[in-house]
Amino acid sequence: MYWKDIFENFDFLMSGLAVTLQLASLAIIGSLICGIVFGVLRHSKIPVISFLAGAYIEFTRSIPLILFIVFIHFGFMPLILDEPSSFFQSACIALIVFTSAYVAEIVRGGLNSIDKGHIDAAKSLGLNWFDRMIHVILPIALTRMTPALVSQFISLIKDTSLASTIGLIEFTRSGEIIYERTYHELEILVFIALTYFTICGSLSALSKKLESKPYINRDSEKLKRLKELA
Amino acid sequence: MYEFDIKYIIESFPYIVKGIGLTIFISVISSILAFTIALTIAFLRRTNVKPVTLLIGLFVELTRNTPLLIQLYIYYKGLPNIGLNLSPIACGIISLSLYTGVFISEVLRAGLNSIAHEQYQAARGLGLSDIQTFRLVTFPQALRIIIPPLGSQFINLIKNSSLVSFIAVTDLFYVIYKGAVDDFMFFEMFITGAIIYMALTGIVAFFTNLIEQKLKIPGKAGSI
Repeated sequence: MYWKDIFENFDFLMSGLAVTLQLASLAIIGSLICGIVFGVLRHSKIPVISFLAGAYIEFTRSIPLILFIVFIHFGFMPLILDEPSSFFQSACIALIVFTSAYVAEIVRGGLNSIDKGHIDAAKSLGLNWFDRMIHVILPIALTRMTPALVSQFISLIKDTSLASTIGLIEFTRSGEIIYERTYHELEILVFIALTYFTICGSLSALSKKLESKPYINRDSEKLKRLKELA
Repeated sequence: MYEFDIKYIIESFPYIVKGIGLTIFISVISSILAFTIALTIAFLRRTNVKPVTLLIGLFVELTRNTPLLIQLYIYYKGLPNIGLNLSPIACGIISLSLYTGVFISEVLRAGLNSIAHEQYQAARGLGLSDIQTFRLVTFPQALRIIIPPLGSQFINLIKNSSLVSFIAVTDLFYVIYKGAVDDFMFFEMFITGAIIYMALTGIVAFFTNLIEQKLKIPGKAGSI
């Protein structure tokens, strides 16, 4: 076995991991924002808007991510910018476009689960649509959606490995570069797999913990604390 | 302005059809295998033999939390080391079915857990064996509940099957990618590929809905 390949190239692998984590965190923030916007639009009562948002969601969800990555990098970005974009930019945009559709579906599910009483109460308090969304509906919906969102973001982290196919030197690609030189593929691949497993596994353990803890309990704890303060 | 070249699509259509054929072949074989693997995993996890459940649990967590691309590479480069020289298509099918099988097993587990425990006890009380209880009582009920998530797993399988092109399988994505990159026909090939993948996943979604409606128990709203 050639495990020393890993130690000799450890810095290079870690710089790749840093790129992966950067890409993942930017894409998570971007897709969370875009996903909430699309989910709210999909949930809206204006038929044209909800139809358009629904069409975007269904279109995106039925196409492989790799198609987006390749065509955003080689097709769309050069057309828009008149010059090739960086690998990082295209990968990030593709991941945001792809994941935001999934996030939008989760958001829609969360919004549908809101009790109508909350909305009526907010309306009777004189809040307009925007204030109702920001102050009443989204906070409840987002806490309910957290486990689903976390597992979606776990698959986003796994999906960043696909950016290696257009040439972005992230974690997977940095491993490929090493074993293309040394020809000892298996050791590097196992190391990469275990690293992904550590990151994603700890996140999924977190999501399981969140799932077992209903949002009501957390709210009641908060209420207790507020009462103690008052 | 970009000129859309529809003639190119028509000319490369024979290759695309071959690619579609291979994608469908891989998806169908893998989905059958994945469902079998999922049933095995779900059943083994319910036997209370400690070493077995621990090993299965470890395998499930490892498979769920690593990228499919890495798994494809590991099976493709690693299987020859233990003396198994398989074709790229076979490697692709193996890794796709293991990956999807693990996800389906989680769906199955959620479905089985949603069955009331009294059902299991009643079946055991009637003298049915463990396997009979699974086959005749809990599984038929769980199956009805899990049909929608099962359908979306099969849709994911079709989409994930595009990754086998990176271990030199000439599936649909490979054909599209080659056409786009070698002949600079990005938009033609992107739109063709998008439409074909939408059609393939749409068919699965349609049949999922149909089966769900057909198998529905009247008066029982089932969801996990």
